[in-house]
Amino acid sequence: MKFTLINNIKKDNAMRLILSGFLSFILLYLISDTLVKYFGFGISVDAINITLFGNAEEYIDPITKASFLEFWHTEIFFIMMILITLSAIFIRLANRSRTFMINILMISAITSLITLPVAYFISEFFVYVYIITFFIWHLSAVYMSLYSFWKLYAKSL
Amino acid sequence: MQKVYKLSIIYYLIFSLLLIASAVMLFEYKIGFSYSSILDYYIGNEDKFIPAKSSAGILKIVLPHIFAFGLISMVLLHFLVFTKLRYKKRTLTLIYLTFFSAILEIFTPLLIVNGFEFGAYVKLLSFFVFLVLIMYISWLLFYSIVND
Repeated sequence: MKFTLINNIKKDNAMRLILSGFLSFILLYLISDTLVKYFGFGISVDAINITLFGNAEEYIDPITKASFLEFWHTEIFFIMMILITLSAIFIRLANRSRTFMINILMISAITSLITLPVAYFISEFFVYVYIITFFIWHLSAVYMSLYSFWKLYAKSL
Repeated sequence: MQKVYKLSIIYYLIFSLLLIASAVMLFEYKIGFSYSSILDYYIGNEDKFIPAKSSAGILKIVLPHIFAFGLISMVLLHFLVFTKLRYKKRTLTLIYLTFFSAILEIFTPLLIVNGFEFGAYVKLLSFFVFLVLIMYISWLLFYSIVND
């Protein structure tokens, strides 16, 4: 987190390059995460319902409780680490709407993580909330990454 | 510290609590919170058709946890440096305790499968000590952020 202490990141070529590399990896993660979920867990209501609860007509078993808990546990870890680092970079580089964007990003990510087990254990209605918040936090994170990129290379910080 | 950084840390604390909740649910479902259930899970139980775990199998689970425990502890503890607690002696004790309990929690399954059954008690104790420490540090951070 050294970059939070540097006065003018734009003049520090090494730090600017490091942050650019890191932001590229965050963007790659966000895209890959969406693709992996599209091909596996699902990113539509029907696909997620089939993954969580199975489909008797197509002989598809529901996800086991152990697999679901492992999936949820891993998701929380990755999301918290990615969002804390992305928010630190965004706060350092952005001038306006910082609090608003951090709130949108974090609240949607936390809501998506909470609604996932609620959908599995209590009511499948929450699959809708999960999908909406999943896309809100992904789009917010993409925006914050691209905005930080732009700020890194803009003529004036 | 800027207000927006404080906000970001508070959200990190919420994520930490979610991670703890998921860890407790996973532990309870897969292993169980009793001495016998921990032994059954690691050294197997023919009556219950539970296969024994091998050292290699445990290492596969241990490997990502070494990285994850280290990273979570480091990120959470380094926030303490930005508070007034930085200069307190008990902060050093907290740091030692957190990393020590994390190491015990991660590596005690290797003791259990190699014949040291008392490791089940150590596993259970270190699991809860680690979680309680994470919650205590989260509370300290939250209190510092709100009152600073």
